[in-house]
Amino acid sequence: MKKPRFDLWSVFWAVAALLYFFVPLYGTFDFSLRMKKGEISLQAYQLVFSDPQFLRSFQYSTIMGIISVTISILIFVPTVYWLYLKLPKARPFVEIVTILPFVIPVIVYVYGINTAFGGAPLRLTSNTFTTDILMVGGYVVLSMPYMFRAIDVGMRTIDVRTLTEAAQSMGAGWAQILFNVIFPNLRIAILSGSLICFATVIGELILGDFLLRPALGPYMAAVGRDKAFEPAALAIISYALTWASLGLIQAISHGGTSQQQLTGR
Amino acid sequence: MSYLELTNIHKSYGNAVAVEDFNLSVTQGEFVSFLGPSGCGKTTTLRMIAGFEVPTSGHITINGNDLTHLPPNKRNVGMVFQSYALFPNMTVSENIGYGLKVVGKPKNEIAKRVEEMLALIHLQELGKRYPNQLSGGQQQRVALARALAFQPQVLLLDEPLSALDAKIRVELRHEIRRIQQQLGITTIYVTHDQEEALSLSDRIVVMSQGRMEQVGTPGEIYNFPTTEFVAKFVGQINLLPVEVQNPAEGVVKIGSQLIRAGQYGHLNGKPVRLAVRPEELNPGFIEGSNNLNGIVETITYLGAIVRIRVEVEGHPISLDVFNERRMKMPVAGDLFQVNFPVDACWLL
Amino acid sequence: MTQTIAQSAAVPAKRGVLESLTKSNWIGLVPFFAFIFFFLVLPSTNLLMRSFQDFDGNFTLANYAVMKNPYVIKAYSISLRVSVITSLVGGVFGFFVAYAITLGNTPRWMRNFLMTFSGLAANFGGVPLAFSYIATLGRTGFMTAVLKSICYTNAAGVQVCPFNPYDNGFNLYSIGGLVLAYTYFQFPLMVLTITPALEGLKKDWREASANLGASPFQYWRDVALPILWPSILGATLLLFGSAFGAYATAYALTGGSIYLITILISQQIRGDVLNNPYEGYALAVGMVIIMGITILAYTILQRQTARWLKS
Ligand SMILES: Nc1ncnc2c1ncn2[C@@H]1O[C@H](COP(=O)(O)OP(=O)(O)O)[C@@H](O)[C@H]1O
Ligand SMILES: [Mg+2]
Repeated sequence: MKKPRFDLWSVFWAVAALLYFFVPLYGTFDFSLRMKKGEISLQAYQLVFSDPQFLRSFQYSTIMGIISVTISILIFVPTVYWLYLKLPKARPFVEIVTILPFVIPVIVYVYGINTAFGGAPLRLTSNTFTTDILMVGGYVVLSMPYMFRAIDVGMRTIDVRTLTEAAQSMGAGWAQILFNVIFPNLRIAILSGSLICFATVIGELILGDFLLRPALGPYMAAVGRDKAFEPAALAIISYALTWASLGLIQAISHGGTSQQQLTGR
Repeated sequence: MSYLELTNIHKSYGNAVAVEDFNLSVTQGEFVSFLGPSGCGKTTTLRMIAGFEVPTSGHITINGNDLTHLPPNKRNVGMVFQSYALFPNMTVSENIGYGLKVVGKPKNEIAKRVEEMLALIHLQELGKRYPNQLSGGQQQRVALARALAFQPQVLLLDEPLSALDAKIRVELRHEIRRIQQQLGITTIYVTHDQEEALSLSDRIVVMSQGRMEQVGTPGEIYNFPTTEFVAKFVGQINLLPVEVQNPAEGVVKIGSQLIRAGQYGHLNGKPVRLAVRPEELNPGFIEGSNNLNGIVETITYLGAIVRIRVEVEGHPISLDVFNERRMKMPVAGDLFQVNFPVDACWLL
Repeated sequence: MTQTIAQSAAVPAKRGVLESLTKSNWIGLVPFFAFIFFFLVLPSTNLLMRSFQDFDGNFTLANYAVMKNPYVIKAYSISLRVSVITSLVGGVFGFFVAYAITLGNTPRWMRNFLMTFSGLAANFGGVPLAFSYIATLGRTGFMTAVLKSICYTNAAGVQVCPFNPYDNGFNLYSIGGLVLAYTYFQFPLMVLTITPALEGLKKDWREASANLGASPFQYWRDVALPILWPSILGATLLLFGSAFGAYATAYALTGGSIYLITILISQQIRGDVLNNPYEGYALAVGMVIIMGITILAYTILQRQTARWLKS
């Protein structure tokens, strides 16, 4: 009556899942190396990295990512802090607001941005600076569910009230409390929220595409339209980037209890 | 006539032995408790009877049928889990009737039986509630009714009261015994609480480290423990290291004071200890009893009882006396005499 | 009498809330709400209002007549079909995988690996995912080549390659291909959301049901699935939403040749397929309404199937 070591039904599904994960990855990798007929080469990667368009859009998205992360932190850390300290009753309401981007399809949202700010009387899309402001606002909104959740979880683990009172008793002002006490205590939460926010910006297609800015997403889509091997190389590069940042989160949060995800849209 | 029979049961997980040399026969309608400290193998034994574990070797029979290798859902044995394990998605009535539903009993028959069971546990009004709308004690009763509704051959309970507070525990203890006797169902009850085992059982199996230490009625277990473990685990006991003075007559000495033991085996030079329960000791001197002289160490009030700790020849002895207002209590440091009858003590 | 008592009891509580409102406690949330107003409320309400306006800014319902356009109906129905199919396929697949790595008896390394990978793959999607599928299952893709090369010579001495997907009616640049690609992020999403619920199934419930005489099938039908049902519903809703709003993967995979509603809207933003931008606004509002209806249906179903959750 010895039980079998593994049950076949489960092993079947686990193996199926592993195959589903790896076959496209391997296929992409294999494909990306076959640019030169009959040999394995890194030519596709060389072409990608030597394309000035790639470098320009990569640079643009990186800068946008850093700006969006900064703005996002500056908005959400004080907001969540305030919610915990003064207005715990309002937390459920704010939470619902922050998950709205899950409910409103991105394309609809971007359409809304375009019509609200693009036309008369504001015409914000008529110059690149104001358009970039809209881009950052959009990125912050799209990554809001993850950023809010990360900071919310982090804030829950620290005793906000005691920390604040201790700082106040030593004569600290609000800005000092936030920057010297709250931020350092939320390091990990802020970092994991930031990485997801950054990854969203790097992979986002629709904003850049419709506000006509040279972001990485639209660049990739354009390459996909008229090239064969470079897209595969780009896919591998972009996976490597996403994985590096998500792997970093997992490593930092020790496997992480809160599974956060960016759904690919 | 034995009804439930466990023969040479042995269970190990890898190299770790959980239960060994377990032999027990239970007669029909008997209430048997497994008593022992946590980790001694009580649950494992119970789960082998229920079919959730398969013995490494040995056999289990009920009414002559070997069910050692039968899957749990074919055994017709009712079990009450420590966590109650009520199905949260079913009402109280659905929970109780589930054992009848799965074998395809007609609806009206199930409904009738559920009503009977609800009446038995005095919860007639709560049939439509969900488990999370009940108190712990009520959930416990429902779990009991569910395990009994399909008329199992044997009822198994694994520390069913351990999650409840003290008062409800005592109340439910009587309730379980009443229902068990009313139905006359053969019952195995697992507990680490000696009071529970003593007050409920027809017989108790004391277990330690996977082995049976002693099997007997509550009286036998309490008054005639055969091993030091049982003596210590069930009730309070004084154990004094003594030297054998006269092996033939059971006379021993502690320091220079002589004691005669009421019960002793072959005293073949092993170190021996004198065992006597605190409530058998009395203050003062009585001719013909065992008498010891010592010094009072501490006095502890336990309510109706006062426990006096006396140091005799460097060893502590506790005696329990009733707390009476007019009694004058000794104070620490007083010289103190205690006595106990010869047949109240024995050698281990 | 009872009314006045109830009222007087209610008054202090109300005043408490009002006090907290007036005590300038909300001031700390001003930046957040200003941001939300500017970047979320304004664009959404703008879209909503314009969907009810004509060129001259007068109120009209005419824009919604676009819903009668056969192309629009088709786009909505394809979007719905793709979303329902992928959330069912991804949901069922993901459920079994989650079962395998929680309750099932699988090698430990497989569990850890699948759990970590689900976290990563649920974040995939968009353009790179489409590229991967093209590189793998496109006409010259890696798997296509592998499958094509499985050939044998039949009795008549003719070389046949029975597994060439493109000879068997498969086409990556179709709805089937889209479903295959979406599943790549859908099923890991299911694994992530359903795993906690599966872990919450107590071993005692399974044993109690066996003890009462239930077979494993009866246990799953009567106990496990009803307990899991609210979580399964919630996860499926999430999957539906993520497929319904998806755009980038479909766009990069098919170049816009499959008329999903998101693709129709994108073309509306880009240029003009409908001749009337106001009809585009109506299309976008329509998507939000569908999401709203889905969430409402989910809430109702949840209420009905999980009465036992409320105490
Ligand atoms: N599934 C298992 N795997 C390994 N060891 C186990 C398992 N179940 C029980 N044991 C071990 O068997 C011994 C007896 O456990 P148990 O029967 O639960 O004790 P009790 O119920 O008396 O507290 C313990 O040492 C425990 O660690
Ligand atoms: Mg136990």
